[in-house]
Amino acid sequence: MKTRSALTRSLLGGVAGLALLLSACGASTATTPQVVKGGTATFAEPPAAPPNYIFPLMSLQYFSVSNLGDFIDLMYRPLYWFGQNGKAQVNPSLSLAQLPIFTVNSSGDSVATVNLKKYMWSDGTAVTSRDVEFWMKLLVANKANWAAYVPGAFPDNVTSVTYPSPTQIVFTFNKTYNQNWLLYNELSQITPIPQQVWDVTAAHPSTVGNYDLTPSGAVAVYNYLTNQSKTPSTFATNPLWRVIDGPWTLQSFSNTGEAVFVPNKRYSGPIKPKLSKFIEVPYTSDTAEFNALHSGAVDYGYLPTQDLSQKAYLSKQGYSFAPWVDFGFTYFPLNFTNRTVGPIFNQLYVRQAIQEMVNQPQYIRDIFHGYAVPSYGPVPVVPANPFASPYEKSNPYPYNPTAAKTLLTSHGWAVHPNGVTTCVNPTLCGAGIKKGAGLNFSLLFASGVTTVTSEMEALQSSLSTIGIKVTLSQKPFNAVLSVATPCPSTGPNVSKCTWQMANWGGGWVYAPDYYPSGGEILAAGAGSNSGGYNDPVNNANIVATHTQLGTAAMFTYEDYVAKMLPVIFLPSADYSLSEYKSTLHGVVPQDAYLNLNPENWYFTKG
Amino acid sequence: MIGQVPLDEPMLVEPGMAPEGGEASSTGGVFRLIFEVFIENRLAVIGIGIVIFFVLFCFVGPIFYHTDQVHVNLNIENQGPSIHHLLGTNNVGYDIVGRLMAGGQTTLEVGLAAALLATTFGVLWGAVAGFVGGIVDSFMMRIVDALLSIPTLFLLLFLATIFTPSVPLLILVIAFVAWLVPARLVRGEALSLRTREYVQAVRGMGGGGARIILRHIVPNAIGTIVVNATFQVADAILLVAYLSFLGLGVPPPAANWGGSLANGVNYVFAGYWWQIWPAGICIVSTVVAFNFIGDSMRDALEVRLQRR
Repeated sequence: MKTRSALTRSLLGGVAGLALLLSACGASTATTPQVVKGGTATFAEPPAAPPNYIFPLMSLQYFSVSNLGDFIDLMYRPLYWFGQNGKAQVNPSLSLAQLPIFTVNSSGDSVATVNLKKYMWSDGTAVTSRDVEFWMKLLVANKANWAAYVPGAFPDNVTSVTYPSPTQIVFTFNKTYNQNWLLYNELSQITPIPQQVWDVTAAHPSTVGNYDLTPSGAVAVYNYLTNQSKTPSTFATNPLWRVIDGPWTLQSFSNTGEAVFVPNKRYSGPIKPKLSKFIEVPYTSDTAEFNALHSGAVDYGYLPTQDLSQKAYLSKQGYSFAPWVDFGFTYFPLNFTNRTVGPIFNQLYVRQAIQEMVNQPQYIRDIFHGYAVPSYGPVPVVPANPFASPYEKSNPYPYNPTAAKTLLTSHGWAVHPNGVTTCVNPTLCGAGIKKGAGLNFSLLFASGVTTVTSEMEALQSSLSTIGIKVTLSQKPFNAVLSVATPCPSTGPNVSKCTWQMANWGGGWVYAPDYYPSGGEILAAGAGSNSGGYNDPVNNANIVATHTQLGTAAMFTYEDYVAKMLPVIFLPSADYSLSEYKSTLHGVVPQDAYLNLNPENWYFTKG
Repeated sequence: MIGQVPLDEPMLVEPGMAPEGGEASSTGGVFRLIFEVFIENRLAVIGIGIVIFFVLFCFVGPIFYHTDQVHVNLNIENQGPSIHHLLGTNNVGYDIVGRLMAGGQTTLEVGLAAALLATTFGVLWGAVAGFVGGIVDSFMMRIVDALLSIPTLFLLLFLATIFTPSVPLLILVIAFVAWLVPARLVRGEALSLRTREYVQAVRGMGGGGARIILRHIVPNAIGTIVVNATFQVADAILLVAYLSFLGLGVPPPAANWGGSLANGVNYVFAGYWWQIWPAGICIVSTVVAFNFIGDSMRDALEVRLQRR
């Protein structure tokens, strides 16, 4: 007993001492924030780029961060989640499945076995392999409309998919692949979708069936869901979109793009939302957004570069500053399929001349005020990664107006500074270019972002000095994205496809093609190859990255792209100069793939 | 046969009096009277002065104040006023004074041309409708009513979104929404004028509708037309500013005051007042000046307000 009693006293004394010590610590850190239960957080959408699509299987004109990372992924979780504590890597804990088990079968082909975790749809049914099968069937039947489609890659290279159980899927591929690439660029593309609700071809009372199991049925289902997804005013009310498996459910959606989310009470993932409401607020310009931020109306917004002088003011108002750097690069496509200017863009020396008139260091210094890094190729230089080659980093085509002019004159063009440079020697100008043809292009760019406007004005001015006349025009982000698609080679829309150069302002973030092998944007026939670029060597280089481990194949691919300029590279600005209220926690580190995870956020008392 | 006063010869009228009907003919006395009434209005004189100032500033100024308004110069972006740049530079290094000159050219050209086009078309439309009357009048004016029922800004945004903006297009787009007011005004005048005896006389002598409209109705509605035209210029300048402010004006490197103002507003928190105030003052001054002129023109041409 004594021992026990003595021990007890001793323990009590120890606990009392510890309590005193803790209370003393508490007194010394009296500002220790108290977590607020619930609360509403507002997030500023990118300027003039509200979400406008909800069906996860989408074509190029809807394939944006605003639609995917900021909107759809909150409701429909992909099979594998990428981005972990701000790092560009797979996140096993947030994925719907265990990491795949890769093997090689007797034929020497890669096999991936995927085991689903226990996740539930909001209607109470389980997320099963049938939902993955539903996605796969729709994808295979409608791959030509899919923004992430790369001919020869997913799903073409999947020879069979079996579903041994409701929780297991086995993918067999047509050869041995680089396992990282399979996970980061193929399995990453899958989003289980609720077959028990979406396998329909018409509005209710049409019954849910197994239409997806036949190709024609899969096309009909896809067409129906696509059409339903084109009506933003019904995003929050259409019964189709009410069944979700993500942490957030859409409570309301306005025609202007304001999305109000509330927690999905049946979310089965490991991190449940702490906020009671999460609102995405649309703005037509960065100036309008900053007005709201300045007045304290936004919890998580962004500081336009032209308002950097207000950083200190915002800090006093209780905002924290955090530049958001993404795993991507910035460029604008040239339309190789345009019948008028396509033959001109097909000439490497023309593309080189244009690239040599882009003064990236100056744009970074004077337009982005340092919040950007150069892009000289398709692989991001930052965040630091093993894929960026020394050649790409070396800036193959530095700003050099003299060299650009020489390129044109040596290829049969009469350079007219501040006028229009014309072809005087068609033999030298290149195939398909007639005598008298002019370097006179139109460039459509995204409105609402001051830095993009300044950059395009600077480029226009620069190009005019060597007689490349560029007529600028602006449209909202979503409109530019819908225009910048490859022209059809036949059909009634051939004459309607008139765009020549288009810059939606954001370039490309490698998501959900997390492995930066570039197939989605630069392979011939790929769903996001906006300009319709087609180079057999490049195509082969891309395919090589799919099978070869290590960086050699990647370096070969990116060095060739950096040299051949299928797009014009621009400085990669930070995705946003984020400002978030200091009482809002869980915002940083921001995701390298630009996904939002508001389920991590919570408020404390200020 | 009783002799007829030749239609092409001036009628005998007392000096200083407008001809009573018939084809309008110039009489120095009328214009002198109008001018005298006009200059009595001090604000109108100020308005004329402002317009002359801006015309000289925009079209003659560049001869003396040389700036490059085609090539950006990022090395001198956002500089404040100095001896080298009297009103500083903007976000891509354009000199603000030079930008105002270049922008003023576009603004005034579009404003004047759109007003002229809208007035011409509107006057003819209204005169024909009013003169012909009946079902033609009803049909023509219902078109006007239908177009008037569409909010102007919405229509302008719609048109400017469909087409790539350029100076000729801006003129056409603005004229497209501006011709409706003169059409209604002149139609009202024409309804009254067509019953006048001199119009009946022309008809009796075999004069055609076109002659009556062009030589009798329109000249006799000139007061209404001129007054409205001055307001049209002011309105057109404002519409150009609206469109440009919303990013639907002429594309760079072309400039206009609305676009300059919109660009400057992006820097309101940075304190770059020189990118905001000058363009705003130019727009307001010019619009107010044309309104002053219009008010005074109305006083001078409106018979009931004239001091005889």
